[in-house]
Amino acid sequence: MSDENLMFATEEQQAIYNKQQEVEEFATRKYLTFRTDNLLFGIEAEIVMEIITNYSATYVPMVPSYVRGIINLRGQIIPLLDMRQKLSIEPMDTDCIIVIDVEDIRIGILVDAVSQIIDIPIDTILPVPQHNAQKYVSGMCTMPDNSGTMLVLDCPLLLAN
Amino acid sequence: MANNGDSVLEMYLYETNSLLGQLDDIMLAAEQADTLSQEDVNEIFRIMHTLKGSAAMMEFEPLMTLAHRIEDLFYLIREETMSAIPEDDKPKLFNLLFKFIDYFRAQIENIELGKPLSNDIDNFVSIINTVIDKINGADAEKDESKQEAASASQSNAVNGYPYSLNIYLDEGCGMENLRAFMIVNDVKQCCSDFVTEPEDIDDTSVAPSIAKDGFKLHFSTVADRENAAKIIEPMGFVRNFEEVDNLSAAQNTETNQVEQTVNNEPVVKKEQAQPEVKEKPKETKQAPIVRAEKPKAQPAKENNSTQGHQIKQSLISVNLSKLDQLMAVVGEIVITEAMVTASPDLKGIEGVKLDNFNKSARQLRKLTDELQDISMSLRMVPVSGTFQKMRRIVRDMGQKLGKRARLTIVGEDTEIDKTIVDAISDPIMHIVRNSMDHGIEPDEKMRIAAGKNPEGEIILSAQNTGSEVIIKIEDDGGGVDSDAVLAKAIRQGLANPDVEYSKREILNFLMMPGFSTNTEVTEFSGRGVGMDVVKKNVEAVSGVVIMTSEFGKGSCTTLKIPLTTAIMDGMEVSVGDSIFTIPIQNIRQSFKATDEDIIHDAMKGEMICKMDNFYPVLRLHERYGLMPRAEKTEDGIFVWVETSEDSYCLFVDELLGEQQVVIKPLPSYLNTFGIKESGIVGCTILGDGNISLILDVSNLISSDSGYAMF
Repeated sequence: MSDENLMFATEEQQAIYNKQQEVEEFATRKYLTFRTDNLLFGIEAEIVMEIITNYSATYVPMVPSYVRGIINLRGQIIPLLDMRQKLSIEPMDTDCIIVIDVEDIRIGILVDAVSQIIDIPIDTILPVPQHNAQKYVSGMCTMPDNSGTMLVLDCPLLLAN
Repeated sequence: MANNGDSVLEMYLYETNSLLGQLDDIMLAAEQADTLSQEDVNEIFRIMHTLKGSAAMMEFEPLMTLAHRIEDLFYLIREETMSAIPEDDKPKLFNLLFKFIDYFRAQIENIELGKPLSNDIDNFVSIINTVIDKINGADAEKDESKQEAASASQSNAVNGYPYSLNIYLDEGCGMENLRAFMIVNDVKQCCSDFVTEPEDIDDTSVAPSIAKDGFKLHFSTVADRENAAKIIEPMGFVRNFEEVDNLSAAQNTETNQVEQTVNNEPVVKKEQAQPEVKEKPKETKQAPIVRAEKPKAQPAKENNSTQGHQIKQSLISVNLSKLDQLMAVVGEIVITEAMVTASPDLKGIEGVKLDNFNKSARQLRKLTDELQDISMSLRMVPVSGTFQKMRRIVRDMGQKLGKRARLTIVGEDTEIDKTIVDAISDPIMHIVRNSMDHGIEPDEKMRIAAGKNPEGEIILSAQNTGSEVIIKIEDDGGGVDSDAVLAKAIRQGLANPDVEYSKREILNFLMMPGFSTNTEVTEFSGRGVGMDVVKKNVEAVSGVVIMTSEFGKGSCTTLKIPLTTAIMDGMEVSVGDSIFTIPIQNIRQSFKATDEDIIHDAMKGEMICKMDNFYPVLRLHERYGLMPRAEKTEDGIFVWVETSEDSYCLFVDELLGEQQVVIKPLPSYLNTFGIKESGIVGCTILGDGNISLILDVSNLISSDSGYAMF
C-alpha cells in the first residue's frame, strides 16, 4: 500500500519518507558487549567474525605478555590478545575468545564473558572525558536499560603498539 | 587448448621471447669467438624465419619486415659463410644483431603492455641494407652471381629451347657485351636456331651483368649446342662454359660440374635424357646450380640444419598461479596425511593389530613425499637465464665505458624457485652495473699498475646450500673507498660525524636510498637508486644483502635468500610445554652431555667441545624464558645446529621426532614485535592440530634484540 501511495507522492513527501528511512538506518549501530573484570566493553558487531571457546593457545616467546600466543582456527593461525593483561589487570583463566578482523588483521581477544548484541543510537555515544581517558576506548555510553555504562573499544588503537 | 586470441598472443610472446633469448646467447658466444660458425648462422637463420613467420601470423608488420631483412642478411651469410664478411665489419654485424634483439624485445614489451607498435623501422632496415650491400660488394662475384644464377636458370626454360649453354667470360676482360656479341655471331655461323639471354646482348647496359654472371644461349637441339660449344671452346676470353639441360637438369648438373671444372677442356656431351617432348612442364627445371668452381654441398647443409631442428624440447608453459594452487593442495595433503596416520583415535585401540593400516600408511607417506618433491621441483628454474643476461650487460657497458671485462659464471645450473629468480634478476643487474661502472678501473694502466690482469673480471656465482640460496657478485676492481663513503654519508646527513662506524656499517650507507658516490648522473649510475632497489627487492623475498670490499682489491656483494619452500623436513623438539621445529638441514648432530662437558667462559657463556672445536651452547628455555622439564644438563639433549655463518649447540628438553611440516607465516600482528629477529620464522600445524614454532637457527643466536620479557 505504502509503495503504491509513493507512486503518486509529491517530491516533498518522498524526501520526508526517505529521510525517515535514513534516520532509521543510520541512527543506531550494533555492538557486541563483553565483560573484562568489572568493565563492560562494546565492539562494533561488524568487525566481529565469531566467538569461540575452548581453544588452547600455543605460547609464543619474545612477545609482550598480553599476547597469549597463537591459536589454530581451522587452519588459520590467529594471535590471541589477553584483554585483562592488555589493561594491566590480573590475568585469569578464561576461554572466551572474540575473533575480530580489523583492517585485514585477524586477531582473537580473550575476554571474561560475552554478554549480548545491542543496538545503540549513535548520538548517545559520548566522547571520553580527556582527563581520565581510558586506554583503547573511543567513546562511552549508558546502556539503554540503564544496566551500566558501555566503553566503546577502539580496535585499531588496541592493535597498535 | 583454448583457441581464443589471448592464448595465441601469449604463445607468441612466450615463443618470441625464448627465441630472442636463444639469439642473444648465440650472439654473445659468437662475439667471444669473433665469428659465427655455420651452425650458428643456420640457427640464426631459422630463428629469424620463425620470428618472421609468427610476426606475420600476428600481423605485426614492422617486426615481420625487420625479421625478414635480417633473414635475407643471414641467407647471404649462410651461402657465403662468415668469411664473406670483412674482418672490420664483424663488430658492426654483431652490434646490428644486438640492436635488433633489443629493438625486438622493446617491441615485444610494448605488445605485452598493450601499447601500439612503433613503425619506425626504416632506419633499421637501411642499416641492414647497407650491411647486405657491403657483403654483396665485398663478395659480389661470389654470391650475387649465385642468386642471379638461380634466377637466371628459371629463364633457361625458354619455350622450345631447352638446351642451354651458360657462358662465363674471363674476369676483367672488358667490353663484355661486345665480346658476348662476337660469340653470338660466331655461333650463328653454324646454327641459327637459338636465342640469347639477355636478349639484346650487345647493349652496353648489360655488360656488368654479363661480366658477373655470364650469358646464356638457348638451343632447340642437342646437336646445335654441341656445335656451338666447339666454336666457343677455343675462344680466348671465355673463362668457362657449361651446358645446362632443362629436361634433365637434375641428373646432369653433377656430371656437368665435374666435367667443367677445368677450363677449356674438350666438352663431350653425353645426353642421358633425350629430348622427346620439347615443351616440358616447368616443374622439372630444378634450379641448376651450375658454377663449376663452386660445387657447394647444399644438400649436406640442409641435413645439418634439419638435424639441429629435431632436438625439440618437450616443454610446456604453465601459469604460475596453477602451480601455486597445486603447492597449496599438496601442503594440505601432507598435513592431512600426518593427521590420519597419527590420529589420536588409533591410540585408543591398543592391542588391535594394525599391520595393514601401518603398511598402507607407509605407502601413503612415500607417495606424498614423492608428490611433494615433484610439485616443488616444478617451480624450480636454473639461474642460468638470469646470469646469461648479465653477459650482455657486461658487454654493452664495457663497450660504452671503454673497459675490458669478462664475466665468469659459476654454478649457473643452480635451481631456485621461480619467484626468487624473478626477484633477484634486477638486483643482480644493478650490482653488475655497479661493478662495471664503479668497480672496474676506468683505465687499464691503473689495473696494470696495481698488478692486476688488464682485463677486469666479474664473477657471478650461485649456490644452493639447502636452506638458502647464495648469490655472489665479485669484481676485482678498485673496491670501495670507505673513507670517501663515510665522508659523503656525513655530508648527506646520513651518518653522524661523532660516531665511529665499522666497515660494514659504512658499506651499508651505499644501500641507502639516494646515496651515490658519483657526483654526476650518468647513463648508468649516479641517481643513488641502484643499491636501494637491490636491498628492497632482496628483502621482499626475506633475503639479506651483504657487502664486503677491500679498497684497491675489489668488492663482493652477497645476496642470501632463504628458500621459501612451503614444505620442509623438520625436527620437532620440546621445551617445557612448547614444541619447536628445527629445520633438518640445519641439524648436524644431536647428543647427550653432562655438566662436566660444558666449559664456562668469563662472560658466563657456555661452550662445548665437539670434534676438536668449541661451540657455544644456547639453552632454548633461557633464551625464550620457558620453564624447562629438563632442568639438569643430563636430562635434556643437545642439538648441534649449523648455518652458513654460525654453528652452535641448542639445548632442548627432548627430541620428539622428524616430521614434514608446512610452513605457515606468523600472523602479521606478531611481526610488529620483531619476532622474526628473535629466531622464529613461522609456524606449522602438527598432525594433532597443535601449533609448533619454526626456529630460524641463524637469527636465534645472532640477535639479542626482540621483546625481552624478563
